[in-house]
Amino acid sequence: MAIKFEQVSYSYKAMDGSVFSALKDISFDIESKGEFITLVGETGSGKSTLVQHMNALIQPQTGSITIYGIKIDKTTKKNKKIKLNPLRQKVGLVFQFPEYQLFEETVEKDIMFGPKNFGVSEADAKERAKTVIKMVGLDESYLKRSPFNLSGGEKKRVSIAGILAMEPDILVLDEPTSGLDPKGRDNLLKLFKEIHKEVDNSVVIITHDMNTVYKYAKRVLVMNSGELVYDGSPERLFFEGDLDKWNLDLPEIIEITNKLQEKLNIKFDEKPKNVDQLFELVKGALR
Amino acid sequence: MNIIEIKDLSFSYRKNTPVLKNINLNIKKGEWVSILGHNGSGKSTLSKLIMGLLKANEGEIIVDGIPLTEETLYEVRSKIGIVFQNPDNQFVGVTVEDDIAFGMENLEIDREEMVRRIDLYSKKVSMNEYLKKPPHQLSGGQKQRVAIAGILAMDTDIIIFDEATSMLDPKGRDSIMEQIRELKEDGATIISITHDMKEAVYSDTIVVLKEGEILASGDAMDILNNKEVLNASNLELLLPLKLLHKLDEANINNEEMRDILWQLSLNK
Ligand SMILES: Nc1ncnc2c1ncn2[C@@H]1O[C@H](COP(=O)(O)OP(=O)(O)OP(=O)(O)O)[C@@H](O)[C@H]1O
Ligand SMILES: Nc1ncnc2c1ncn2[C@@H]1O[C@H](COP(=O)(O)OP(=O)(O)OP(=O)(O)O)[C@@H](O)[C@H]1O
Ligand SMILES: [Mg+2]
Ligand SMILES: [Mg+2]
Repeated sequence: MAIKFEQVSYSYKAMDGSVFSALKDISFDIESKGEFITLVGETGSGKSTLVQHMNALIQPQTGSITIYGIKIDKTTKKNKKIKLNPLRQKVGLVFQFPEYQLFEETVEKDIMFGPKNFGVSEADAKERAKTVIKMVGLDESYLKRSPFNLSGGEKKRVSIAGILAMEPDILVLDEPTSGLDPKGRDNLLKLFKEIHKEVDNSVVIITHDMNTVYKYAKRVLVMNSGELVYDGSPERLFFEGDLDKWNLDLPEIIEITNKLQEKLNIKFDEKPKNVDQLFELVKGALR
Repeated sequence: MNIIEIKDLSFSYRKNTPVLKNINLNIKKGEWVSILGHNGSGKSTLSKLIMGLLKANEGEIIVDGIPLTEETLYEVRSKIGIVFQNPDNQFVGVTVEDDIAFGMENLEIDREEMVRRIDLYSKKVSMNEYLKKPPHQLSGGQKQRVAIAGILAMDTDIIIFDEATSMLDPKGRDSIMEQIRELKEDGATIISITHDMKEAVYSDTIVVLKEGEILASGDAMDILNNKEVLNASNLELLLPLKLLHKLDEANINNEEMRDILWQLSLNK
């Protein structure tokens, strides 16, 4: 078990003393290998708050989280003996807003920061920067640019590159594809899947895109008003889940297949997962 | 009538690296135009030039008959509201309420009317319970909703949405689309920058940028059905049209099927 949440609750305190309960009694586990999880749920449901617990950026107020054998709870902050830094390398977190992550004067320095911080040599970190910048679809010339003078999607890519360069055991990505062009979105999702297959790591992706969930996830978590309301397969979620209540919708392929069946007044034998499969079914029906 | 005319516009942030090259574009009053294109193609830069936040190296921008110059800057800006790509860039106030009010203050809208609109638009984006909260303590999607409310409340003739719904949940996105449709019905001109082809379906026309140049422009559905253009700028076919193209490639011609797939691509 890499990460274990046990009855975790977390509230934000406002300056006027009011309290907002963002996570309520959350329990679940993430394995260190073989997981490809998407985390979904309506705006403000607690997704970003939840993933910031996964590398101990935020610590629970009640309950505990065990990350690679280290127990994190409300006493952790005061306990000087617990070193959180190594956890940040093991669990790499890409923020929802790349601006929160970029701060160096060049893209290269930004990407090198993480690896160097975890003991990688200057020369090796430089090599890694060259490798990862291409992985996210940008050429080497970007390394000399300032991370602040980039387009929105370019910033997003650089922020992802910075975490990939740390080669974390668990890769956690908070809306990594928002702001990416469609081809960039597909390429990056494929990249995460490839890395996942190659090094057998675990991946957690927050998204509002149900197509991503259906196409890539082995397991889906749904948050709603601070509660974890679903933990299971994408198929069960989309064919049996309470999508309206959770402000979710159907992946396009299911929606279009349903509407086609309705309009043609037929029923396909199978549930297609992509447009190629749907094409075969339609071809059969038109014959 | 053209509400925006762009003539031979060129711009670069750095020497010898032009970001926009010789852009010519007319936008009609009351039109909804989507600007599409790969990351870094120049969409946000174009929107900032129209707002006068950046200064063109060459060319001319005319808004509602007024050529954009240093003298006319404020007059032109008062006609345009822009929802920035990063909502944090829009927040200046201590509370959500202040932020929604900010744009209206610049337009010198009177107090009573401001209060009315804050109430109306915060409800429209479902953020009325957060009015006293500091904007930086909101979730990503909540920030986008507040940014949208602030611009809608200004009630300008032209509204630019720069990927304004990129972090909204599916239902939230639908509801914002519905409101943009209402704005258009009320006569507003909409410029929407997006990577979401399903959003682009709602627009009248589409402009596709590639490496700082206009690769194609025209009727929305013509562009969304043009595989070559879409591929060239990292975009994609809508799922029903993808299926239609596959049927065409396999020489399967069925009129009923074609009709159905076109309707589905129009979200019908
Ligand atoms: N720093 C903060 N102070 C107070 N409240 C906060 C803070 N950050 C988040 N919240 C509140 O906690 C709730 C959960 O926020 P969180 O960012 O985890 O949501 P989310 O599921 O990631 O949403 P989104 O999809 O919009 O990004 C929201 O209602 C938000 O307003
Ligand atoms: N402040 C800046 N200084 C220098 N170059 C910049 C600056 N802002 C953007 N650029 C460059 O200008 C080009 C166009 O950027 P722009 O932000 O207009 O792209 P965009 O089409 O909005 O992309 P995205 O879809 O990623 O938001 C990009 O190559 C980018 O690197
Ligand atoms: Mg979030
Ligand atoms: Mg942009």
